[in-house]
Amino acid sequence: MEVKLDKQYPLDVDAARAWALLTDLKATANCMPGAEITEQLSETSFKGGVKVKVGPAVAQFGGTVDVIEAVAAERKMVLRGKGADKGGSSASMDLTAIITADPANPAHCILNGQAAVIVNGKFAQFGGRMMVQVSDMLLAQFVENFRQTALTLPAAEGSPTAAAQVAGSAAASVGDAAAPAAPKAPVVAREINGLAIFWALVKSWFGGLLGKKA
Amino acid sequence: MNAPVLSAEARELALAGMGASRLRKEDARFIQGKGNYVDDIKMPGMLHMDIVRSPIAHGRIVKINKEAALAIPGVHAVLTADDLKPLKLHWMPTLAGDVAAVLADEKVHFQMQEVAIVIADDRYIAADAVEAVEIEYEELPVVLDPYAALQPGAPVIREDLAGKTEGAHGKRDHHNHIFTWDAGDKSAADAAFDKAEVTVSQHMYYPRVHPCPLETCGCVASFDPIKGDLTTFITSQAPHVVRTVVSMLSGIPESKVRIVSPDIGGGFGNKVGIYPGYVCAIVASIVLGRPVKWVEDRIENISSTAFARDYHMDGELAATADGKITGLRVNVVADHGAFDACADPTKFPAGMFHIVSGSYDIPAAHASVKGVYTNKAPGGVAYRCSFRVTEAVYLIERMVDVLAQKLGMDKAEIRAKNFVKKEQFPYTSAFGFEYDSGDYQTALDKVLEAVDYKGLRAEQAAKRADPNSPTLMGIGLVTFTEVVGAGPSKMCDILGVGMFDSCEIRIHPTGSAIARMGTITQGQGHQTTYAQIIATELGIPSEVIQVEEGDTSTAPYGLGTYGSRSTPVAGAAIALAARKIHAKARKIAAHMLEVNENDLDWEVDRFKVKGDDSKFKTMADVAWQAYHQPPDGLEPGLEAVHYYDPPNFTFPFGIYLCVVDIDRATGETKIRRFYALDDCGTRINPMIIDGQIHGGLTEGFAVAMGQQMPFDAQGNLLGNTLMDYFLPTFVETPHWETDHTVTPSPHHPLGAKGVAESPHVGSIPTFTSAVVDAFSHLGVTHLDMPHNAFRTWKALREHGAAL
Repeated sequence: MEVKLDKQYPLDVDAARAWALLTDLKATANCMPGAEITEQLSETSFKGGVKVKVGPAVAQFGGTVDVIEAVAAERKMVLRGKGADKGGSSASMDLTAIITADPANPAHCILNGQAAVIVNGKFAQFGGRMMVQVSDMLLAQFVENFRQTALTLPAAEGSPTAAAQVAGSAAASVGDAAAPAAPKAPVVAREINGLAIFWALVKSWFGGLLGKKA
Repeated sequence: MNAPVLSAEARELALAGMGASRLRKEDARFIQGKGNYVDDIKMPGMLHMDIVRSPIAHGRIVKINKEAALAIPGVHAVLTADDLKPLKLHWMPTLAGDVAAVLADEKVHFQMQEVAIVIADDRYIAADAVEAVEIEYEELPVVLDPYAALQPGAPVIREDLAGKTEGAHGKRDHHNHIFTWDAGDKSAADAAFDKAEVTVSQHMYYPRVHPCPLETCGCVASFDPIKGDLTTFITSQAPHVVRTVVSMLSGIPESKVRIVSPDIGGGFGNKVGIYPGYVCAIVASIVLGRPVKWVEDRIENISSTAFARDYHMDGELAATADGKITGLRVNVVADHGAFDACADPTKFPAGMFHIVSGSYDIPAAHASVKGVYTNKAPGGVAYRCSFRVTEAVYLIERMVDVLAQKLGMDKAEIRAKNFVKKEQFPYTSAFGFEYDSGDYQTALDKVLEAVDYKGLRAEQAAKRADPNSPTLMGIGLVTFTEVVGAGPSKMCDILGVGMFDSCEIRIHPTGSAIARMGTITQGQGHQTTYAQIIATELGIPSEVIQVEEGDTSTAPYGLGTYGSRSTPVAGAAIALAARKIHAKARKIAAHMLEVNENDLDWEVDRFKVKGDDSKFKTMADVAWQAYHQPPDGLEPGLEAVHYYDPPNFTFPFGIYLCVVDIDRATGETKIRRFYALDDCGTRINPMIIDGQIHGGLTEGFAVAMGQQMPFDAQGNLLGNTLMDYFLPTFVETPHWETDHTVTPSPHHPLGAKGVAESPHVGSIPTFTSAVVDAFSHLGVTHLDMPHNAFRTWKALREHGAAL
């Protein structure tokens, strides 16, 4: 079962900070619901896992993530993840993430993601029909976590626009800005919530129906 | 001794013999939940087995780590191919002359292939331990399409066959090629096409489906390390063949191997083969010295045990301008999966596919079937049909429709024009089959009249003329001939054992009887119908005749039940064993009545002295005498064994008609009417025949309208649960109308031909014929199955017929 995704997410974070977070693979992985990097095997190779819970069924994929390419000039990162679940499923993903500046607003950026996810075994057999929707849900949750985490990063030095943005957000939320330099971990969903996925599916389905009629 | 005087008719009725709609003897225990299936069997000290299966369709096994699984309390063993290697049991022979991996040896060839087994105290621990076995795979490119598999650079599926250019059925010309099998006369067929006034051709795909019996496969293996004997309770349609194979594989003498098929919850071909799970459970029991139970779950059953069909077929007909068929050519690419594990008679790698000339007198014909390996589960069994007959009947019936459409002829008319005529029987087809008997025209006329065919066509014309009609109406017609009752041992064998069957009858001193058979019932009602044959042959009430099957330590050797062979082969063995007893009984009766044998007449249940109704001995009288004081020169006792080797196959036929209404908005197909006329020769129990026909039609409906096994590009099977795989219930199943004619088989002792598979074989093309007929005015000649609402809706849109 192969799912291809090509998504653009506008973020209210400047490109430099988003890129800084993206290159910190451990931190980025933490933004993925249920995912965790447990061990660094080399400069570009990591060991980790993802836990997905849908109702009573839990799939726990363990595997590796390799950085195939990281081009700072283009803010482009190519990753390959591979893993297997003990219950008889395996998965692999080729992901290309590129951060582009938002031409209209230098304090914002766009996160472009292209992914090819291949799932084999029970997960593909049972979950095949919901793969696209579940992937969409996961990504949406990931992007929200990513955004929140990126916002807690200090602005890149010597970047006036970024500094201005930080000042701006500090003005909006004095408490946070006044906090010590260490970024405060945002509250991110650590596990994929089956009920939330189901609810989101129902919403998007009805949304689709209404959209068609309108 | 003389009983109250009853008329011969009354006594015959009391026997409940052949022709009686006797209620099924089996049902009393089934409806009370007192059946005894494999999973009901519990033995002291019994352990449980579960299987670790491959999540991917093609890959190399890099590493297997058993430690975590072995550390779980209650786990006794984890075995892989490496553990079976010293016993030479990591591969096993298949019934088709190939080998199949018992546990994946270095490579996995299809998704859900068996890679390791776990033996534990209970089923739950075994399942947990399966998850704890860590296996690392290196994925390989997957080939699912048999045409792609035959391309020059296609991935090599069977590395174990490297360099092997000679297969079990001749030359292999590609690493994924299994065999090419030809039948008929190619040059004669080509000549017919060269001269033809009209030709038609059609490609069609008969999808991969699964027999999906209600009970999945399983066994309980029990090796006694003290006595050195092995007993295995198993879901097998052919227990004697299993005994022979187990003895050959294990080296245990056949006399120390006992195979028992207890109650079987449906087989439909799925339970003919020998599966890795059986072999592993037996090995585990031998290694551990304790009974081991293995019962697969539904997903395992649909994913890994034998599928059926998966034939990509090209048919061609040559004909005269007025619709007389002059030639037939067929080319098939058969997807056999990763191992060739079809359960056909050894010499027929495409089974009886050459029945493809059907009910028609076709002077020249040729068929070629090419078997191909792909990364799918092995199988290719006869799903409620004689070997590959369903595929053959589908092809010819579709082709005749296509030709009729091209010529603008009516479906019924073109069939009548090409039928083998009643007076042509016995008829030898272009493929060499000798059809025993048939009367197709009488049967067709009966059906057309019963349904008012002309009226239906008029109604269809009216609907087509109305652009606002909410439905498209279609009429399907099929006039099929089956070949069953495999088979004559000069042509048919399984692993070298001829396809005869057997019966042993013992009449007890008080006149009751027991019959033991080489077949095994899986719902066919043998305990009921076999007793009826004996009742009629020997004049003993069927109520006091016990029928036993399935235990190799008591039953005579037989090849089992599949391919509608029980009545044509075992039924004949019963009749002939009974006739041996009858001949001895006549001698005893003559002695008792003090007359010459020739002075006796047989009447229902007794030998009578000619011309004197008051002087007679019933079979019960004779039985007592046989054990009490047999005449001089005769052995005591009254029993016989017969091994019946049929002189020919039998050829049941049928005329099926179906009317459908297709909703132009939703694509839903409503089966308005289905009329099935079957001719299975002599009818033993009309009620059971009706039941068989209802069951077969329902399974045919399932195949035609919904069953499929779709794979994604990676080889994941996306339809292996009953959520996805269509098993019709009362909700979906249409109403069936049945009818019959009787054309006995001249070479069968009872004239019976077998019936259980005709409704499956015949109904599937009838549904397609009806659905395509609904579209035929739009120029559509064929639509592939399954005819589910989505696919039909797409066809409606494609041809501008959707509302």
